[in-house]
Amino acid sequence: MASTIDLTTAPTTEGVASRPFPLWRRGVTMVVEGVLYLLIALLVAITEYFVAEPIGDFGLSNWWIAAVIYAAFEGYCWPAGQTTAMRLTGSSVQLVDGSFAGPMRMAARQLIRFLVVYAAPLWAFDFNVWRIAVIAGAVAVIIEVLDRSDVGAKAPWDFFIGSTVVEGGITGVSPDPGPVRSVSDLQLAPGRAAQNERARKAMFAAGLSSVIVSVLIVLNIFTEASEFVSDQEFNWGLLTDVGWFPRRGQFDLSTLFVGTLWVTVIAMAVAGPVGIGVAFYLSEYAGDRTQRIVKPLIETLASIPSVVLGLFAISFIFPKILQPIFSDIGIFSLLAAGLGVGVLTVPIVASISEDAMRAVPTELREASYGLGARKATTALRVVFPAAISGISAALIVGVSRAIGETMVVFIAAGGSGGALFESDPTEPGQTLTAAMASVGAGTDSVAGSGIAFQSLYFLGALLFLATLLLNVASDVIVRRFRQVY
Amino acid sequence: MRGDTFDPRTLQKQPGADRPGQAFYGLISLAVLAAFIMVGAVIWDVVQGSWDISTSRMWGFLTTSFVSNPDEAGVAQGIRGSLIIAGIVILTFPIGIGAAIYLEEYATDNVMTRLIQVTVRNLAGVPSIVYGLLGLAVFVQTLKGLTGGDSVISGALTLAILVLPIVIITSAEAIRAVPSSYRDGAYGLGATQWETIRTQVLPAAMPGILTGTVLSIARALGEAAPLLVVGAAGFYTTGNNDFLEQMRGAFTALPMNIATFTKEPAAIWRGHAAAASLVLLVLVFLINLVAIIGRARIAKRLGR
Repeated sequence: MASTIDLTTAPTTEGVASRPFPLWRRGVTMVVEGVLYLLIALLVAITEYFVAEPIGDFGLSNWWIAAVIYAAFEGYCWPAGQTTAMRLTGSSVQLVDGSFAGPMRMAARQLIRFLVVYAAPLWAFDFNVWRIAVIAGAVAVIIEVLDRSDVGAKAPWDFFIGSTVVEGGITGVSPDPGPVRSVSDLQLAPGRAAQNERARKAMFAAGLSSVIVSVLIVLNIFTEASEFVSDQEFNWGLLTDVGWFPRRGQFDLSTLFVGTLWVTVIAMAVAGPVGIGVAFYLSEYAGDRTQRIVKPLIETLASIPSVVLGLFAISFIFPKILQPIFSDIGIFSLLAAGLGVGVLTVPIVASISEDAMRAVPTELREASYGLGARKATTALRVVFPAAISGISAALIVGVSRAIGETMVVFIAAGGSGGALFESDPTEPGQTLTAAMASVGAGTDSVAGSGIAFQSLYFLGALLFLATLLLNVASDVIVRRFRQVY
Repeated sequence: MRGDTFDPRTLQKQPGADRPGQAFYGLISLAVLAAFIMVGAVIWDVVQGSWDISTSRMWGFLTTSFVSNPDEAGVAQGIRGSLIIAGIVILTFPIGIGAAIYLEEYATDNVMTRLIQVTVRNLAGVPSIVYGLLGLAVFVQTLKGLTGGDSVISGALTLAILVLPIVIITSAEAIRAVPSSYRDGAYGLGATQWETIRTQVLPAAMPGILTGTVLSIARALGEAAPLLVVGAAGFYTTGNNDFLEQMRGAFTALPMNIATFTKEPAAIWRGHAAAASLVLLVLVFLINLVAIIGRARIAKRLGR
């Protein structure tokens, strides 16, 4: 029994109705055009920043280089009867006879369009964004009011080459679907497959944003940090000087390390027990009603901005808690800062540990009860060991958060100008992050250079590596020791 | 007869009270109590510290700019800066949501996908001040011609990048929670993948996505460290600039105001810091409330 359906027929553009492109999508196309050009200009500037000397200037040359690159994209798209932006939004320029505009016609059309939409306002209005928007609006009105459908022209420039803008294009045209034989055939209606493909590409581009940001962070921090190390005034002896005074060229790292260590240890001494205790309570003991009270409480604690906790450290922790205990303590101390950071770290430790405990299957608990174990025994001997990987991950993430916390320490630990090596936590001190904040805030001009300012990036690189290491470690622990049930 | 079925509870009722168990319960109750005290103490401290200002001239405090006279100084500039920042951060949310859609709906398991996943996870753990360094290099120095240097645009874009991983992770979780039967139903009716996402997956995931994005606004509003590095002013003086000039000129934000007030040596400014903290806390709690209520309403509308 021979099949009568010929599946080998090549896709054809015939029989596909050319739908006119709606006005609002033409507007979108124009916005896409502007954004695309801006993006290219940004990329040019960023490339220039990393490849050439950091000139700290977004000059006119960037715009021209971007224009050349954009023109190259245009030249690539014109033979298909599309502009670069049209290719992205899925439209094309069609002549009255149904064929697509060729490169020469496209060039002529784009030239006129460029003159009307960009060049004329640039010349007349000194390139004011709002006035360009007004012109675009006027053109939109012309397109809508003056319907010259007899010649197939819509916009003024379309009128000159006798064209109109339609949905889809040579590259985006779907094959004639033919008779529907399966569900996937339904998806091939004109324009829909192309729309799907465009959406996929746009989402992928959005997904790349995280990669781009990561690359930028790493490139930026490590280029600048290497400049600090290769600076003429720099020698490795500076890193073991008498203290951390960037303005005087003293960059003793041990001062910062011991400060960071104290703050982290004190913070975890608070957040570890409290966080894990709350997690035990929420996952093992709390009923529905108490959960509805305790959970929002933890969320509230998590939403308190760190700068408020900095104020809390010097206006509450210092006078109400520390002064009665240590009579000679000053208002700024690593201890107060550490306690403040501890309050901030509690919700992270609590929520990650609670998730870990909840992930322990109920069967394990039931088995434990079945053997006659009490609630506390079950929690400590069954749930805790089963969730230990998640709980250690929670503690590591807490440590990473405590190391990276800036504002509490910047406000409450003192030593904004610098600090001497100090191993007593009741004295003022300086951490990695607070030192960065001081340098960053203290410079009169952020674009300033000099070795004191470069130290900011050197510390940033250390901080980035430390937290990255901790985060990766917590990831590995969770994966390595995860019990598979 | 009792002996027929074994009741494990009889094992638990050994002679003697469960002292270790009670001690353990006492300990974790103490932890919960400690968390309660922390929240209470922070709120009490802020309210008590700002009492003088909030009872006598709260409206003036909200509507005047900074002046050197403590009796007249206000945080109007900080509030305006924070609101502009929130607005710009919201504009960048589609990127984060788009990335989440790609990861959950389109991505196949390849090197690129794994790279994106790894970078998102790690970016979420990068300390906020490091984002400040990025903003300083990219927005303040490199793109000075566009952003105007240490302007509110630079600060807001830096914070937008800061919350990007949070938006991606929470949105991805919300999208993952949509049952696959929703998708199968749409495909069965002949919808393309994009049509399925737009009409089925996104509406169903909207409560979760909204919660995540709203919470990340709250996070952006409370961050001060990146702004400090990017070059936010504690306070600034300004003439009658038009909107575009303001966007590219000196700026501040509420958390920056708090930090500057707190760092002032004279104790009288501590009250201003507390009052500004109160404003920020109220703003952040309101945003959280909006997230909770919005989540509940949308969930109700979707009949779940």
